[in-house]
Amino acid sequence: MSKRDSQADVPQGATTPTTEDTGFSIGRRDFLTGTAAAVSAATVLPNLKKAKAQDGSPVKIGFIEDESGNLSVYGIQKLHAAQLAVKEINEGKTLKGGANIGTGGYGPLASYAANAPTISKEGVALDIVNAGGEMSGDATVFVEDDDVFVDSGDQGILGREVDLVSVDGQSNNALWQQLTRRLIQEDEVDVLVAGFASAEREAIRPIVDQFNQLYFYTNQYEGGVADANTFCTGPVCEQQVIPVVQYMVEKFGPRCYTIAADYNFGQLTAAWTKAFAPLVGGEIIGEEFIPLSVSEFSQVIARIQQAKPDWVMTLLVGQNHHNYYPQAAAAGLSYPMASTVNMAQGYEHKRFPPPSLNQMHNAIQYQLEVPTARNRAFVKRWMDMFPEDEYIGEMAQNTYFTVHMYAQAARLAGTTDQETVKRALELGWAIEAPEGAVFLEPGTHHCAHYIRLAVCDENHDVFFVREWPMIQAWWLQRLGVNLVRNPEYKQYVPDEDPFFSMFG
Amino acid sequence: MEEFSLVISVAYQFGTNAAFLLLCALGLIVILGMMNIINLAHGELMMMGAYTASLSYQAGLPFPLCVAVSFLVVGFVGAVFERLVVRRFYGRELSALVVTWGISLLLSQGTLMVFGPFLPSIPIPGGSLDVGAYSLSVYWLILIAVSIAVVVALAWLYNRTTFGLHARATMQDAAMARALGVNTGRIYMLTFSLGAGLAGFSGALLAPTASIMPFMGQQFVAPAFITVVVGGAANVIAGAVGSSVLLSLVRTPVGFYLGAFLGLVALLLAALIIIRLMPNGVSAALQRWSDRRAQSH
Repeated sequence: MSKRDSQADVPQGATTPTTEDTGFSIGRRDFLTGTAAAVSAATVLPNLKKAKAQDGSPVKIGFIEDESGNLSVYGIQKLHAAQLAVKEINEGKTLKGGANIGTGGYGPLASYAANAPTISKEGVALDIVNAGGEMSGDATVFVEDDDVFVDSGDQGILGREVDLVSVDGQSNNALWQQLTRRLIQEDEVDVLVAGFASAEREAIRPIVDQFNQLYFYTNQYEGGVADANTFCTGPVCEQQVIPVVQYMVEKFGPRCYTIAADYNFGQLTAAWTKAFAPLVGGEIIGEEFIPLSVSEFSQVIARIQQAKPDWVMTLLVGQNHHNYYPQAAAAGLSYPMASTVNMAQGYEHKRFPPPSLNQMHNAIQYQLEVPTARNRAFVKRWMDMFPEDEYIGEMAQNTYFTVHMYAQAARLAGTTDQETVKRALELGWAIEAPEGAVFLEPGTHHCAHYIRLAVCDENHDVFFVREWPMIQAWWLQRLGVNLVRNPEYKQYVPDEDPFFSMFG
Repeated sequence: MEEFSLVISVAYQFGTNAAFLLLCALGLIVILGMMNIINLAHGELMMMGAYTASLSYQAGLPFPLCVAVSFLVVGFVGAVFERLVVRRFYGRELSALVVTWGISLLLSQGTLMVFGPFLPSIPIPGGSLDVGAYSLSVYWLILIAVSIAVVVALAWLYNRTTFGLHARATMQDAAMARALGVNTGRIYMLTFSLGAGLAGFSGALLAPTASIMPFMGQQFVAPAFITVVVGGAANVIAGAVGSSVLLSLVRTPVGFYLGAFLGLVALLLAALIIIRLMPNGVSAALQRWSDRRAQSH
């Protein structure tokens, strides 16, 4: 709440998905002025410092993703995202944002009146002098500002062209380590943006730390990485599991059956589900971890039918596991489903014929269908560059705003010197990403995100039923991590926090 | 009623497990079992079957016809590979293994480059049947029937036709077969082509239940090799049937009562024990057993 209080002079804006512009845009403009001040700070400072950074050589962004192999369905999207961002940076464009002491957003579900209400303080209580007329409707509020894509006042970064040094990890962890060494030692990249699977990240993080390389990990993941050199720009469990579990218990009932991929991501996300469900009256009636090699699901389906849950949590990863959806649909399994990965990343709803993904619920931070003008503009910029692409997933968008965020931080720092850029990022960084406002929290190097509950219908179209404009990645804060004061280089796991056995 | 539907459901799970193993193994039975070529491109041949089926389905062909097209297309590709590459490696098992592995990398990576990371799926034909609290997929019932039919057809082909006679003669003693006028080169090509075609056929049949991606073949390779190796080489067809039935008998109850992970563990453990106890596979044990019966009578 404190953040919203700090903007108390900004009236709550409200629009419906169909009405593009109402009288409330004034409030939005006020809000944006605040952000614009931060932007100008970010663009003026480097102009002063530019002289010393001019050595003409390009800024090198080292980039590893899986362009081939099992994970290429995600890697190619992420590569395109980085290429788009680099092109925009070189053309002198950026997203609104800048060093910030915090950020806020609009409230989620709201009733709105015809006119802005008038409030007055009489005695000890606040009175509504004029309610603004009859409440004329309820709507999910979203921000319709399509001007987040702005001029950076710079060509490339500090006048230097940006070069994307991209290599293919081939879905092979050993190769990932080799390529990381190559990018750091031979190419001497200024920043490293890399990593899909947690196994890949953990394979290269020791190398990153050995050279104190500035490293961005852009994936959605299980959480817990506290590393002074690593900035995690994707969402983590507490930002996704808790909203979706809460919604599913409210809407469909308490009994949940979890099926999860049998490796660290699936195990840990299932642990979050199990720890949190009791707090909202839910109950895990069955939990099953499925080896990544399993691709035939008739037995899993029969076990779910035997357990008769109210809904199913599916945390399935990889091409073999995706087969669950058509197979379950063909076997007549029609339980509502929840997930933190499926649909937003592997776009199963676009790859499988309807209604395989019917009633899939995912608390996403981004997927292609996000219903805002800024996202439509982003999708258009993307498709103009890559007309053949089928989908833009969660992690592709993360990669996109991360590259822009790096450029902004380097501009403010006035240099690409990695330690200086890390200090600039540790001012706390806000950026207006296609998903909405993102805030990089300095102490934990994780981002607060705009979370939306996406639901897939029987035609595999997506609609959004609930929004959380700013959910913090609070778990590392709870554990007392503060990388600015106490640098560390590890990954915390739920076993280190009594929360996980407190209620379950 | 509750018990009855449970029995039906477990029988169905057993059927799908066995049919999945058999379908994975079909092409490999012929190539590994008959020709002793460790074909590491088996999964990619199945992937090609799925791709052919998906492309011809998108072009408007009815699904059964797509499966037939896949059989022919992948069979033809198999014949080309045999002529150009594989035939140079007969009798050199390890070289053949490396070469087919190379082919598999070329095929999967080439597919990624040409078709991108995935193709549109094929909707699973047929609906579902409710049995008490459980439901069965009609398509899997069809797959169970088809895999039985294909095994019967293969047995007929190898035991009742001239081609089968020549093929078995070539596998047993190629030099002698050649001396007796069998065109062994042609037999090798046809056998490899048939194996490839069957892999394409199974790939097409499994395509609706899978995501159609360049690396989808990998999921079928391990089950295929386990089935064929456990089955043994004494009689490859009987062996594959025996091993898929035996392995599913272990996997189904464990998987149903203890979960997919332990189901998989049970399957691998069963394979380990069977290979330890019957080093030449289930088919050799069956053979010995029937020989002993014949003697004692």
